[in-house]
Amino acid sequence: MYKKLALFSFFAAVSLMAESEIDTLKTQLQEQQTMTQLLLKKVNDLEKKDAQKDKETLEGAFLQNTSASFSQNAYLPDIALVLNMSAVGRDLSNTQYENFAIPGFIDATDAELPFNKDRGFNLNYAEVAMHSVVDPYFEVYTIFHLKRTEFEIGEAYVLTTSLPEGLRIKAGKFKSSFGRINEKHQHSWNFDEQPIIYKALFGPDAISDAGIQLQWVAPTDTYTMVGVEAMQGTNERSFGDIEENNLYTAYVKSSLDITDDLSILGGVSLAHGKTATKEQSDVYGVDLTLREQLGSYSALIWQSEFLQRNKGTGEKQSGLYTEVVYQYNKNYSGGVRYEKITKNQTDLSIYSGIDTDNLQKYTAMLQYKPFAFSRLRLEYSYDATKIIDGQRTDINTVILSLNIAAGAHGAHAY
Amino acid sequence: MKKILWASLVLASSLFATLKIDTTYATLGAVTQEVGGDLVEVHVLGSSKYDPHFIVPKPSLLSKLRRADLLIINGGGLEVGWLPPLIRSANNRKIQPGAEGFLDMSHFIKMIDKPTSVSRAFGDIHAQGNPHYVTDPHQVIVMAKVIAKKLAQIDPSHTQNYQHNLEKFLKKWEAYLKKFDLKMSQCTTKKVLQYHELYNYFLKRYGIVSVGNIEPLPGITPSSKHTLELIGTVKENGVKKILQDVYHDKKAAEFIAAKTGAKVVVVPHDVGSVKAADTLEDFYNTMAKSICN
Repeated sequence: MYKKLALFSFFAAVSLMAESEIDTLKTQLQEQQTMTQLLLKKVNDLEKKDAQKDKETLEGAFLQNTSASFSQNAYLPDIALVLNMSAVGRDLSNTQYENFAIPGFIDATDAELPFNKDRGFNLNYAEVAMHSVVDPYFEVYTIFHLKRTEFEIGEAYVLTTSLPEGLRIKAGKFKSSFGRINEKHQHSWNFDEQPIIYKALFGPDAISDAGIQLQWVAPTDTYTMVGVEAMQGTNERSFGDIEENNLYTAYVKSSLDITDDLSILGGVSLAHGKTATKEQSDVYGVDLTLREQLGSYSALIWQSEFLQRNKGTGEKQSGLYTEVVYQYNKNYSGGVRYEKITKNQTDLSIYSGIDTDNLQKYTAMLQYKPFAFSRLRLEYSYDATKIIDGQRTDINTVILSLNIAAGAHGAHAY
Repeated sequence: MKKILWASLVLASSLFATLKIDTTYATLGAVTQEVGGDLVEVHVLGSSKYDPHFIVPKPSLLSKLRRADLLIINGGGLEVGWLPPLIRSANNRKIQPGAEGFLDMSHFIKMIDKPTSVSRAFGDIHAQGNPHYVTDPHQVIVMAKVIAKKLAQIDPSHTQNYQHNLEKFLKKWEAYLKKFDLKMSQCTTKKVLQYHELYNYFLKRYGIVSVGNIEPLPGITPSSKHTLELIGTVKENGVKKILQDVYHDKKAAEFIAAKTGAKVVVVPHDVGSVKAADTLEDFYNTMAKSICN
């Protein structure tokens, strides 16, 4: 009896289950049908909408202003504007200062003084820098210096972007990559005043000339770059024979990371040319920079450079600068620099009776940058390299400078 | 005999030559490694310890760029202060902007916080929008897909490998995101203060409101006036967390915390910027943990 009942209920259960399964399938089918209908409706709506949109854009296009059809705004070069100005205090009158001599290097009245010359206020220059991609093969750079009464093409050159094997050519007027700071413009120096040895051997613009440059970066783990340049040689301080291109430079630069945060950059350079009197003139340079990164905005940088000039006449003259800059944070940094003329084997007879040894200079600066694009710098220097009115005269100078870089974003320097 | 050995060795090494890929930051590097697998050698240029806007252009970066087959940048203006001169001096035509071996990831991302007007009077703002999109783990999918496509373009013979790696990675990442999103849905932090608008993509994704920034304007050091105002904002909004990046000074954040009872948490902005954020997963896990717990 119980057995039968159990069996019956079992069958009933199974058939019920089967029935309910069919029901679920049916509902599922129904659901899917509604879904399909909904989707179809959506597709139709979208198609209608698209057609409407096409119509609208077509009508919109007719209403649009066509005066911009030949607009070339997208091809305008990147433009940056740099202003450099200063307030200067010096324990020497302007006329005396203008006629300084550095014995053996610069005679009185022979110096060029484009920056921070006068006591009181100086607008050193406004610089307009432009950069643009020319085509798939070239980029162009121009740097115009606008001074109170003159317009100067600081640099204007093309740079290749598509040479193979790590090669790059620069052609035009440019600052030579000789040494460490030769290619840097005044406003990107760590101190407002130019190192004495650069001023003495090359003048304020350093080696900057019409010419051509070839640089090669080696495909190695350690950064190694070799460069050669052929230039006109207009720099009259060390060269100056411009009958034809008479200045050739060559340099090797290499860098490696000692730790993640400590890096070293070193270079050896040579400039070989002829003076206006056709004498051979060679300048050798050795530079070394160590940089310890202490944080995103903090670093300790030690940079030194030694230059020596040998002339065909047997003259040998050399000097060095060494500087330490401590970047405390985003806003503040400070630095000190020591400079010395180390060798001065040349004709010093016009300075007879005057002490021409121990030509040295000390400089200290404090810098405040409210933001990446503006910089205030207070610099003090004690300069014991000058002869004024036939007398060895030490000069104290204080410069408060303001530098502004607006427009296209310049690059942070190493 | 020796010659044959040499020849076969040279041949073998050239067959297994890996693509050299430089990425500007570490998250991009980690995604590239996932998609590229054994076929790529990835170098990250910018250390994640430091502010991504201010990477020091060390000359050693030039030797990496010199040999790269592909350069992947974050874009959105993040590299404008340090990368262009390096590209110019690395003398590698493959990775010049516009060349096939140059990839700007920001072009594939829906950028948020696009400013309506651009002037440096507003600080260091980016005209293209907020460039810190890697803080959103969902962007990893976009990055991976774009990188796979680019790798196949410059190395077509391995298209299938890259596709396979991509699929494998996406499967893993989607599973990870499912769990991650679930975890984030239980996050009790609803309002935060941050130093810089560094985490906006993450915050937006998970519905967390940023009530303000410690820097008065992007790139400008905190001022006492602004800091005092923020103390009021933090109190008013009942903010419990102040998000501090690894590279800025913590002083202002700690001052606000001391006055309001909010807590300062150091949040990574990139893979590897803190010890616990070594991998992609750990990076986002650490972010979530520091913001939510």
